[in-house]
Amino acid sequence: MKLTRRKLAATLVSATALSAQQTQPPPPAAPDDLLQIARDRLKANAAALSAVPLPMGTEPAFQFKA
Amino acid sequence: MASIGIDTFFATLAELNAALKAKEFSAEDLARAVSERLQQLGPRYNALALGLHQEALRQAKEVDKDLKRERYRGLLQGVPYGVKDLLAYAGQPTTWGAKPYAAQVFKYNATVIDKLAGLGAVLAGKLSMVELAGGGGYRLPSASLTGPGLNPWDRTRWSGGSSSGSAAAVAAGLVPFAIGSETSGSIVTPASYCGVTALRPTYGLVSRYGAMALSWTLDKLGPFARSAADCGVILQAIAGKDSKDPGSAGKSFYYTPEYARPMKDLKVGYAPSDFAEWAEPATRPAFDAAIAVLRAAGVQLVETKLPDYPYGAALSTILAGEMGSIFEPLIASGKVDELADKPQIAGLKASLELPAKDYLKAMRLRRVMQDAVIRMFGSVDILLAPGRAGIATKIDQPLDRGAGGTPPKDPGFRAIIPMGNLVGLPALVLPCGFAEGMPVALQLVGSPYSENTLLAVGRDFQTRTDWHKRRPPTS
Repeated sequence: MKLTRRKLAATLVSATALSAQQTQPPPPAAPDDLLQIARDRLKANAAALSAVPLPMGTEPAFQFKA
Repeated sequence: MASIGIDTFFATLAELNAALKAKEFSAEDLARAVSERLQQLGPRYNALALGLHQEALRQAKEVDKDLKRERYRGLLQGVPYGVKDLLAYAGQPTTWGAKPYAAQVFKYNATVIDKLAGLGAVLAGKLSMVELAGGGGYRLPSASLTGPGLNPWDRTRWSGGSSSGSAAAVAAGLVPFAIGSETSGSIVTPASYCGVTALRPTYGLVSRYGAMALSWTLDKLGPFARSAADCGVILQAIAGKDSKDPGSAGKSFYYTPEYARPMKDLKVGYAPSDFAEWAEPATRPAFDAAIAVLRAAGVQLVETKLPDYPYGAALSTILAGEMGSIFEPLIASGKVDELADKPQIAGLKASLELPAKDYLKAMRLRRVMQDAVIRMFGSVDILLAPGRAGIATKIDQPLDRGAGGTPPKDPGFRAIIPMGNLVGLPALVLPCGFAEGMPVALQLVGSPYSENTLLAVGRDFQTRTDWHKRRPPTS
């Protein structure tokens, strides 16, 4: 089975960025390929977030102090 | 000069304090012995970023003057410690574990360093870390200016990241305690891999002023120490309002073991599949025994489910948005290419392309997640999960080995690290046994500002077990 970049990124959706529980297969060494994988990972994350319905009135979870 | 034996290097804060007061050795003796040991053995584990021998002796002499006059400042007085090399210490290099910042020097101290100095703690050295605390997503343990963090229990294995040196130095008896940081897993993972007790405080409880920013809304500082009780003492010292940290919650923390709730009153939520299926088979006996200890202590273990949300995707998106903004100058300058880990370089570059709508979507969802998780804490006091589902990885092994055994159909608490960090929850890591000669640990996660409850359970667990007292074979 050919592993596309998008499929590869999709496998990474649930991984945290900093802990050691990432589940990515060995990436190719070429910088452009690595960059594309990173971009696809961002898109896959966005797709996962889009799947969750969100009330229009929900404000972001940060606070600014005056 | 008094002779300082190996037991002293593994002593608790109370034991060190008693010895100092009894004049078994002076603070200067202790600082000299610890800083020499740190200088000598730190490189063995790639744990030392910068030794501060002369600085430590200078501070310790001042402590001795106070002790001579019976000016006591608490259990940290005269105790040497180390900090992750992302904390500014005036006039000394602060590398953030990364080659582009190898010559960076600040003119001020991080707030936590000043707070500890005010209580007489003696800074003995700065400890190694994964470059930029792992921002961008690293693939190999070698992603560090000081090389891969080597585990004191087996130097062919990783000490974990990104607070690699903080965990390794405490485990190997190089410092009595250390300060590390967590954005998502950087305290829990190395503490679990090295068999060290550690605490990730509630977001905002400890000032990050003077710490490298990776994510303004996720970064936290916390202690690695000999016991849950020591973590409580250290947290009390470093917590508190700080106008120099915009994320400061403005709250203090008072360690109050005398007011701990009875164990039998506590409901501990857990997912059986985490321990029976997700955890690697070799670790399961240790986890089973640890759960039996908790049951014997009287806590009520209840099966619980995390609210169903894409925590990992939300955390990664928020992190990408914030670190991209923070490190834009590094990326734009091209110096990002000096980092050791190529996937990490790519991750940082890609972060600049994150659409604002995605960041905001994640932050809006974070609000919904927070509400749901806080509601969950209406029915349980604490969540219990493996610190890590497996033992430390080999240092030459990419970090894509997976998180343990075959993921079970039940998601259990596998997302507890991103969930806990998104919601800003405190976590306590407790060593609970060994598998294949390597440490295994539990993590307890509580509602915001429930550190005293977590520490009470940890303290009770550590009166019934001695895993936190075990020493690596070569120490």
